[in-house]
Amino acid sequence: MKQHPLCTDTEHAAHVLDLAIPVHLKQEWAELQTRRHFLGRAGKVLGWAAAASLLGDRALRGDYAATGAQGGDSLKVPNFAPKAKRAIYLFMSGGPSQVDLWDYKPNLAAQFDKDLPDSVRGSQQLTGMTTGQARFPIAPSHWAFKRYGQSGTWVSNLMPNMGRIVDDLTIIKSTNTEAINHEPAIMLMNTGNMNAGKPCLGSWLAYGLGSMNDNLPTFMVLQTKLNTTENNQPVSSRLWSSGFLSSEYAGVGLRSSGDPVLYLTDPNGVDREVRRKMLNAVNEINRQTYEELGDPETNARIAQYEMAYRMQSSVPELADLSKEPQSTWDLYGPDAKEPGTFAYNCLMARRLAERGVRFTQVYKRGWDMHDNVTKVLPIICGETDRGCYALITDLKQRGMLDDTLVIWAGEFGRTVYSQGGLTPDNYGRDHHPRCYTTWMAGGGVRAGITYGETDDFSYNVVKDPVTVRDFNATILHCLGIDHNKLTYQFQGLDQKLTGPVPASVVPGLLA
Amino acid sequence: MAERAQRILPQKQSTRIVWAASLGSSLLLLSLPWLVRLDGHPHADWQQFLGRFHPLVVHVPIGLLVLVPLLEAGGARRPALREAAGFVLALAVVSCLVALSLGFLLAYGSGNAGTGVTRHLWGGVVLTIVVLICLLARPQWYAQGAGYAYPTLLACMMIALVWTADQGGALTHGSNYLTQYMPGGMKRVLAPGGVSSASFYAMHVHPILDANCASCHGEGQAKGGLRMDSYELLMKGGQDGPVIVAGSSAKSVLFQRITLPPDHRQFMPADGKPPLQTEEIAWIKAWIDQGASPTLTKLAGVAIREELPAVLSEPVGNYSALMPEIQKMETGQGAKLKQVSANPSDGLVLFTVDAASTFDDAQLAQFQRFAPYIVEAELGRTAVTDASFDTLKQFTHLHALHLEETKVTGAGLARLASLSQLSYLNLSGTQVTAANAASLNSIKSLRHVYLYNTPAQPAPAASRAPQPKEKNAR
Repeated sequence: MKQHPLCTDTEHAAHVLDLAIPVHLKQEWAELQTRRHFLGRAGKVLGWAAAASLLGDRALRGDYAATGAQGGDSLKVPNFAPKAKRAIYLFMSGGPSQVDLWDYKPNLAAQFDKDLPDSVRGSQQLTGMTTGQARFPIAPSHWAFKRYGQSGTWVSNLMPNMGRIVDDLTIIKSTNTEAINHEPAIMLMNTGNMNAGKPCLGSWLAYGLGSMNDNLPTFMVLQTKLNTTENNQPVSSRLWSSGFLSSEYAGVGLRSSGDPVLYLTDPNGVDREVRRKMLNAVNEINRQTYEELGDPETNARIAQYEMAYRMQSSVPELADLSKEPQSTWDLYGPDAKEPGTFAYNCLMARRLAERGVRFTQVYKRGWDMHDNVTKVLPIICGETDRGCYALITDLKQRGMLDDTLVIWAGEFGRTVYSQGGLTPDNYGRDHHPRCYTTWMAGGGVRAGITYGETDDFSYNVVKDPVTVRDFNATILHCLGIDHNKLTYQFQGLDQKLTGPVPASVVPGLLA
Repeated sequence: MAERAQRILPQKQSTRIVWAASLGSSLLLLSLPWLVRLDGHPHADWQQFLGRFHPLVVHVPIGLLVLVPLLEAGGARRPALREAAGFVLALAVVSCLVALSLGFLLAYGSGNAGTGVTRHLWGGVVLTIVVLICLLARPQWYAQGAGYAYPTLLACMMIALVWTADQGGALTHGSNYLTQYMPGGMKRVLAPGGVSSASFYAMHVHPILDANCASCHGEGQAKGGLRMDSYELLMKGGQDGPVIVAGSSAKSVLFQRITLPPDHRQFMPADGKPPLQTEEIAWIKAWIDQGASPTLTKLAGVAIREELPAVLSEPVGNYSALMPEIQKMETGQGAKLKQVSANPSDGLVLFTVDAASTFDDAQLAQFQRFAPYIVEAELGRTAVTDASFDTLKQFTHLHALHLEETKVTGAGLARLASLSQLSYLNLSGTQVTAANAASLNSIKSLRHVYLYNTPAQPAPAASRAPQPKEKNAR
């Protein structure tokens, strides 16, 4: 029997029939094997034809194999020397309010409850939630702003900790998107396309750069526990899907409570040796399936089983925070001890980066404030302000910010006018795609600058617009990738993260 | 005297008339700058159109004039060369006159009347006169085959040529064109002076204006009567008044002009030169808004990073013979070498994360044959010790060294001083002491050193991060 290249454990290379499983199952297997052998071989031509029609002619040419599980990855290198080896993406799902956090407009205070001039709104399409509104009263931010740092950047009083690190940030006030609702907007940010089915940024990175580490996935996703006072738009695994790329490149999520990865611990009575034997046998069956059908996803599955086996030892070590010094807790705050909090996820993102994980995405939901901004925004800022600050500070003091890119972004911004009733004490804000604030920090980007400008109403970009395509192209650039060169043939096109519309790296953001 | 004139002047009557006429018109042309003064205002477009051929045509007399002394000198051995010299000199006079008239048209037509333009113009006039005299003095010298007058005139002509050409070059390329990238030592000898003050203006505003504006608004030319090459002149403004209103960038013409859309007629820098960078504009804005002071050293809201020059990384040698071994490592478990990028000369990165706990000094030593190709060594959390420095000092192209969370104490770190490109060293979480860390000063290329959580730099005492205040209403 041929040894699978991934099964390096020769001692335990086992056949299914050697396993400690009931005799009747073994018999059934043997019969199936004979029958399958006959039918399989006989139907092989048919099988290949079917596979070829499903996968395109490249399956036959072996192009898939080059991107599949077998070693082809190893030669993957950046197009040019990268500034950042890895990235941490703090995704603020729901659309944080740039008006209340970053985009300081002192002139608005005098315009409380005045109508937003039609000339500013122009012909913009609104969401169904405010399109019926009789008027669009301006709601100035409820919070005062303060200047921080050498760069003199204005930051809302909601984020006193972020204020302390503004000189490490590259703040982009001119990010803008084409989508106005959550689902298409969040897909666009993550995959470069509003429709589902395209690979996300993390998968492209895993595909393009390969892994730096054998014992943890290249791309990991951390979800933050829900805070029920917030309006939580759902996120799901389509956001870390590998699309048409091999599913090896999909993000692997760590759970926010209980076991970080389900079923990773062996059941009682199953030791690691038995697990190894079982995996070898399963791999053998999978290998036969691959020989039979030629579906590269089978190889991806073999690789995933092997990864899970290695994660049985790497994940407990990862999740064991007992060796973190007291200074860590002083920095991240007491919340960081509780799995699933934003602070915990920030700490975990640092630990993943230390362990060679290429891309970690932390999701924080709850930014979708259609009403009750003055009550909910302080809560969510209280959850995130310190975590973001601690992560940047921690990476910096440990010398990791030089080669780690940190990204903070939501899928869009929020309107300057109030959705629903505007009172002196409260207001709501609708989705706003035309401008929103994002920031990056670390390897490859220019620290201490603010890029782009918006008009007096934080409504339109007036200088240096950054589209989602440009944003993603710039991220890839920091990691040593030319976004036009990282492509994958699918449906007759050279697919890429930035899509077919021309995108450009934003030189003003680069160090 | 009459005899002498006999020798100089042509013999035939008709030729004499041509001679006299061309000499007369030449002198008329040369006196043009006296007759028609440059008044600093633009004139007819056709003048500028023709005038703009001056920078092109001017190279013809330069080439010819340089040729004359060479031909004369060569003529000592080959008489034919000396014969040619007369003809070349005559051509040079004609081309000088053409270039001069075009140059005058350019200056007059565009209304350019800065000191640089005036100097260049008079340089051209003087040069042309000297060349004319050369032409007149030559026949006698040629007939006698001796005398110092003509060679001296030629030497004067060359000096006038170099000086005038240098003035012209300063007009088109800026006065610091030649000295900008001059090696430091040479600069101190040849181009002393410059700005020494530590004010924000001197450190940041002046260099921006000097690089982007001074070629048109400087010592050479002063378009619109504006010079920006010194603080006093900048604040004085141009023919239409001041360009800077201290305290208000919005009212300052200079700021308005640099922030117009680049395709606007009034946009500066003009003539398709690249716009100022966002950051440069921000600095100028902050500087004007905060009083346009010549002495203020720090401005609120402006962060200037003090940067040491980046350490240049040299390309590594050819390691293609080692590629099979590198690829084999990739498929196995344990330490790996990976290419930094698709460009092999960017070198290799040593990754040990998969075998961190067992990777020790002996294993590191096995990478010696890859030593000159490794630009980054990730040895964080491995079992290496201070003994690793003996191996690492052979990694001649190393830029970045990660030793965080290892047993390293830093004894003998000075052994790494031979690594001329090492700019990043991470010793966080090690046992490096302050005494041992001091030896890092001997590694001149280091730009980023991390000693977080070591005896040399203990973790900061517990400090509570500020909490948002209950209410910070507007």
